[in-house]
Amino acid sequence: MSQTIRAEMVASVLVVVAEVGDEVGVGDTLVILESMKMEIPVVCEEAGVVSEIVVAPGDVVREGDVIAIVL
Amino acid sequence: MTEAAVAIDPRAPRARLANFFDDGQFVTITPEDDRGVLAAVGRANGANVVAFITDPTVQGGAMGSDGCRAIVTAYDRAFADSAPIIGIWHSGGARLREGVASLDGVGRVFAAMTRASGKVPQISVVLGPAAGGAAYGPALTDIVILAPAGRIFVTGPEVVRSVTGEDVDMESLGGPEPHGRRSGVVHIVADSEQDALDHARTLAALLGHQGSLNLDAIEDVDLGALLPESARRAYDVHPLIEGFVDAGSFEELHARWAPNIAVGLGRLGGRTVGVVANNPMRLGGCLDSSSAEKAARFVRMCDAFAVPLIVLVDVPGYLPGLGQEWEGVVRRGAKLLHAFAECVVPRVTVVTRKAYGGAFVAMNSSSLGATRVFAWPSAEVAVMGSVAAIRVLHRRRLADVPEDARAQVELELAAEHEVISGGITKALELKVVDEVVEPSLTRRAVAKIILDTPGVRGLHGNIPL
Repeated sequence: MSQTIRAEMVASVLVVVAEVGDEVGVGDTLVILESMKMEIPVVCEEAGVVSEIVVAPGDVVREGDVIAIVL
Repeated sequence: MTEAAVAIDPRAPRARLANFFDDGQFVTITPEDDRGVLAAVGRANGANVVAFITDPTVQGGAMGSDGCRAIVTAYDRAFADSAPIIGIWHSGGARLREGVASLDGVGRVFAAMTRASGKVPQISVVLGPAAGGAAYGPALTDIVILAPAGRIFVTGPEVVRSVTGEDVDMESLGGPEPHGRRSGVVHIVADSEQDALDHARTLAALLGHQGSLNLDAIEDVDLGALLPESARRAYDVHPLIEGFVDAGSFEELHARWAPNIAVGLGRLGGRTVGVVANNPMRLGGCLDSSSAEKAARFVRMCDAFAVPLIVLVDVPGYLPGLGQEWEGVVRRGAKLLHAFAECVVPRVTVVTRKAYGGAFVAMNSSSLGATRVFAWPSAEVAVMGSVAAIRVLHRRRLADVPEDARAQVELELAAEHEVISGGITKALELKVVDEVVEPSLTRRAVAKIILDTPGVRGLHGNIPL
């Protein structure tokens, strides 16, 4: 099942941890965002393969923006 | 009359009640006829409880005036026994063929529930559709548990389609996904019908058999090891909560709704406690309108049932944004301030990492009447983070500093600011923090405060905020 990982809040992208093609499990970190002076990992909710990472370090994401797609 | 269930239809009231009560044993307290509701008394995990159940094998479980009277009888009994009451729901709502009489009956059920609110714990288990009046029944109670086949809605798919044109099925209208994640109607989404009944048994015992705190049973756990090394890194708070309460005892409520705060019941040294904890993994642990409302309702429930509270604080502030303001973060956030300020049960705060600004006040601060506020040695309590603070305080001076040197100057000013304004020392001087405690000794310290504080309960209902 495909899952679209979206930003929960306004943040800047600090690090992109996962790469396209990576096999990821539940709780694996895809991207680390920075917001409210905190580094907030964005994690995978279901196991799968990373098919797309839409953001790059330094990007600003808003609530609801797509960060990655995991198939 | 004590009987084991002999019914064949698994949806029959007797079959379901047998799956709920200890050893399948119960005594009915209302007539077994075609009124569509059966009430019984028995035990759940050892606690005396009253349960009533709607009968989907009779007119789809619809509620008529006799059935509603049976529910009121169950409430009278719960009052008399001071016992938790569990409603097991599978009902299409009011009986159409009885007309207004059934509506009157449903209204009387609501009134009985409201009279009982905050006096006896009320738990609802929704096993099938619970529509219309059957939706608001569970909604008026303290805790709502939804089985996979449970559906809760005011108006069904056909009415929705004819009025709004929206084409939805019962599941997307009122199933586990919308109610577990979006609406906050449901506290626990269960894996199966039996799992739903088991959660109700556990919660009935947590609220009905609260036990007494045994200090000797408290083991020291190095809770500090459950935080990440970097103070800026977000983490999931659940391992910290599970390490704090007795092993395996945490029963989380509203796990997926407003997940930036975690609330639930567990035991500490054998005694039931409520836990409220910021969860930095979601929204950085910020308070927002939904999380404040979720925590406020939980705090008031614990207060009404004399459950002591443990508040684990790691909060960067309120979530900023237009959406929040328009959603009423001021009005809904005020509920949490009100809930803590009026709360009379022992309530102990532990600042694990940071507590900034208004969110610090809201998280059971001493100003709101916390019984005790502990902080871990490295915790920071401040109006805002020191760098953010000096950017405001020294805006002009920083503007004159060349850009390449600014970061360094900011760090120096921040260090200076921490010495003057903040840090734990200042918080201790002001009695904003009562005591610094080592993470590994925190369980014992909190347990001792709870043990030494008289057990009282808030005299108020538990309106479903």
